[in-house]
Amino acid sequence: MLKGIIVGSTIVEKILARHAGKDRVQAGEVVVAGVDYAMVTDTRAVNTIKQIDRFGDQPLQFAKKTSLVLDHYSPPPNQEAAAIHTEMRAFAAARGTGLYDIGDGICHQVLPEGGHLTCGDLVVGTDTHSVTYGAFNAFGTGIEGTDVSAVMMSSKLWFKVPETVRIDLQGELAPGVWAKDITLAMLGRFGAEGLNYHAIEYVGDAVRAMAIDDRMTLCNHAAELGAKAAILEPDEKTFAWLKAHGAKAPLPTFADEDAHYTERLSIDVANLAPQLARKHEVDDIVGVDQIDEQKIQFALIGTCTNGRLDDIRQAASILKGRKLAPGVRMIVTPASRQIYLAALREGLIEILTTAGASFDSAGCGTCVGITNRLVPGDGDTVISTANRNFKGRLSNKNADIWLGSAATVAASALTGYITDPRSVEGGTWRSAA
Amino acid sequence: MSERLVITGSAFLLGDDVNTDLNCSNKYLPGKDIDYVAQHAFEQIAPGLAGRITKEGGGLLVAGKHFGINSSREQAAHVLQKMNVRAIVAQSFGRQFFRNAINNGLPVFECDTTEITEGQSLELDLAAGTLCCHGQVLQQTHPLPTEILAILSMGGLVPFLQKYPDWEFA
Repeated sequence: MLKGIIVGSTIVEKILARHAGKDRVQAGEVVVAGVDYAMVTDTRAVNTIKQIDRFGDQPLQFAKKTSLVLDHYSPPPNQEAAAIHTEMRAFAAARGTGLYDIGDGICHQVLPEGGHLTCGDLVVGTDTHSVTYGAFNAFGTGIEGTDVSAVMMSSKLWFKVPETVRIDLQGELAPGVWAKDITLAMLGRFGAEGLNYHAIEYVGDAVRAMAIDDRMTLCNHAAELGAKAAILEPDEKTFAWLKAHGAKAPLPTFADEDAHYTERLSIDVANLAPQLARKHEVDDIVGVDQIDEQKIQFALIGTCTNGRLDDIRQAASILKGRKLAPGVRMIVTPASRQIYLAALREGLIEILTTAGASFDSAGCGTCVGITNRLVPGDGDTVISTANRNFKGRLSNKNADIWLGSAATVAASALTGYITDPRSVEGGTWRSAA
Repeated sequence: MSERLVITGSAFLLGDDVNTDLNCSNKYLPGKDIDYVAQHAFEQIAPGLAGRITKEGGGLLVAGKHFGINSSREQAAHVLQKMNVRAIVAQSFGRQFFRNAINNGLPVFECDTTEITEGQSLELDLAAGTLCCHGQVLQQTHPLPTEILAILSMGGLVPFLQKYPDWEFA
């Protein structure tokens, strides 16, 4: 872009400009912007509280717009984690923040469900997957303890305005192919951290056709691309979902036609096959059709990437009236208590439990080896809906982790081999939205 | 203000993709004290580095691409300060590490580091955006804006906000 020539703004530039009280901002510039909501997880709470304490006991005006979420150590696996939770409960009670306790769910699910954000908002959280809020046309990004202390003291924070890449997802996903498959394909194309510092605007027919659950997956997984934000245009589905969850009035934010992007891509997803990240590398991506006889022993549906109702529905559609393959273990971890309850009311928990799966309480427990809620055995291959698969992620370096959609995970749990969901009965179930 | 923005010392070299687990492994967290973690920093990729920096009374880390990627834990910056690392010069940084360093008053400088060799004496001028290395002047890839220089010159975001509670420094 030539210096001095005014062009339009991307979604992220508009949100940051509005929150910084400026007419416009440009990629690369640093702005001090007002924040709408902040979130602190239990993995970062000790450091965050330590930083806030450096300011003494000044009242925290921003506490009402902050939630502490006890999700990573949920339920606490040891005394140290339990002590962190005790400290968080005491802090929330003393300083007036919100609190989501163990079993309430994963931060990135409970924040939107709790009505804490809406279109056009600027939301920060102490977790890389805070980019998930982009599904609601909010700028969501990950920060750390000192950042939170600044927000709680001043309601503001500094941001470097990111460059934006616009990705137009054209065509209609085939039944049995999901947002997860698109994000894995993006990781194959750009590589892990391939869009470091960038914001991504995902637009196009395929995005418009997605239900909110799938849109959240699309934005969530952009964290593995290194993205600072992944953001969608809002539509009637967005507004209806936000209204149903008690969010404040949205401020829908769209990019200008002459906005400057580092890259504009058009990708036709109509012929996309289910994708997989092979063991250890989140960007070692192959189509399911390229995999021959890969046995699995453990299956996981859950995490902030794919622990939502539509994911559990995909699994139930495939496993209804059937049994897991001999020797296969399967755990389902709903992303929140609300999702757990919805799955219960729909009969999904009965279907999956009858098939041989187990349910774990809502939270991050089975995603990462800090609670050890899911530890595979030596030589096991895990097929998971999580967003990360590096060696040892689940506390056993002698196990392999592959990543795929909930449909792919369920189809694989049914046969005992990594399986194209489109090849099994019920594997082409589609969301009503 | 300006004295914190000129930093001198020897170069201690690291490669590309140095992630935060390498200087601040999660196996030492929570609960281990930061001195212990600092003694073990980078031991997988540069054995003895912590001891060598201590022996010189401090220095500048020089790395390739993506310094500080992976986990966003802020302790990764605290550990480097404990090791007397005065600044980090790299071709690029992981996003959250970049924030954490600045928020803690630890200068970060992006430039082409391919010509810098181990032990060379460096002079970093953050306000000017230059790095002097054996008579050669390297330019910063993306200059740090005045807001960031102000935070660094105050020693980090907390002291900065204690002085300017409403960010009124501009």
